[in-house]
Amino acid sequence: MNVVADTVALDNINSHPIENAHSELQIVAPKDAINHYLKSLGTHRDFSIFNWKIVDLPVILYDKAEGFHIYRDIKAMEQGGTFTEVHHKIVHKDNIENGVTFDASITSLVVWQWIAMIVGIFFVLFAARKYKKSPLKAPKGIQNAVEALLLYLRNEIVYPNMPNRALANKYQHYFYALFIFILLMNLFGLLPGGHTATGAIGTTLGLALISLFVINITAIKQIGIGNYLKHLLGGAPWWLSFIMIPIEIISIFTKPFALTIRLFANMTAGHIVLLSLVGLIIMFQSLVMAPVSIAFSLFMMTLEVLVSVLQAYIFTILTAVFTNLAIGDHAEHSTAH
Amino acid sequence: MDLAFLAAGLGAGLSVFGAALGIGKLAAAALEAAARQPEIANKLQLTMIIAAAFIEGVALFACVICFILASK
Repeated sequence: MNVVADTVALDNINSHPIENAHSELQIVAPKDAINHYLKSLGTHRDFSIFNWKIVDLPVILYDKAEGFHIYRDIKAMEQGGTFTEVHHKIVHKDNIENGVTFDASITSLVVWQWIAMIVGIFFVLFAARKYKKSPLKAPKGIQNAVEALLLYLRNEIVYPNMPNRALANKYQHYFYALFIFILLMNLFGLLPGGHTATGAIGTTLGLALISLFVINITAIKQIGIGNYLKHLLGGAPWWLSFIMIPIEIISIFTKPFALTIRLFANMTAGHIVLLSLVGLIIMFQSLVMAPVSIAFSLFMMTLEVLVSVLQAYIFTILTAVFTNLAIGDHAEHSTAH
Repeated sequence: MDLAFLAAGLGAGLSVFGAALGIGKLAAAALEAAARQPEIANKLQLTMIIAAAFIEGVALFACVICFILASK
């Protein structure tokens, strides 16, 4: 009962923010605070860890009327006088309702992608250099980890799912890169101060688009354009073509779309649950909620580590499975699975 | 506006209900098969994860729609 009484009392304080605000800190209602953090799950226009701003990021815009614009940072854009930012969206000053045609700014999520790339490249190149320097020595340290990971990916994802060894050896690098890149992006979101780049739908859409091209171009190269088009019939008799061909064409595009949504929704869902758990403290405004919130957050964080690895694995293996499906039975299958 | 929140809540609940039934059935079947033939357990696990990913994907579509409804 005490908790309820405290909550009511604190709610009364916060519903009159101006009368009770003695400090310069702006007091907002708990719901607004949570909404604010929910919005900032997305992108920022500066790169900062916690509240420590490291660098402002450039703004790159394309507008139908104004053409390309590149500004050094968001302040330079405001001073430029043509565009302004309203609710995280860049709009034309004369037309505040609609956003600009195309906002290709470098955001904090892009920087986190770069960090994931650099870290991934560093680890793999480090291992590769060790092998070049002393190919006969037993691997140790990072080299061991990279070797174990790549061997696992090759034996469990690439070899069982590609129609033959030659093709598997040719395409294995794409799957390695995909797995390591997605895994690192997912895991960087769990570091304190980090952001999950895969929690933005643009990132996952880009990855899925690459997968779309890999799946279909591989299939066309392997079985020829004629067989690829024959595949669109799905093995049904010709008089069913008017219904089969649209379905098959849609299914070509739904596969990458499902990849996009799956990765994005899984990564975002975990963060929203974590935010809700932390939000419980802000909503109830009592010390009693803190241990509960921390316990559940710890559990969710552990689950997030599992989900990060699992989603990277699923994205990679589904790309491999879809490639195999698109090639179909035309290529020779290897017997060794 | 308030009806949108109701729809989002109900939709999320229903889609999770469906996904839970699907994944539960899938896991039950896989466990039964693995108990009967322990030697194929590894292969089953792989197939099970892929199928679970598909089921989860469909449920996530529904959840994303609910999220869009709620955040409008």
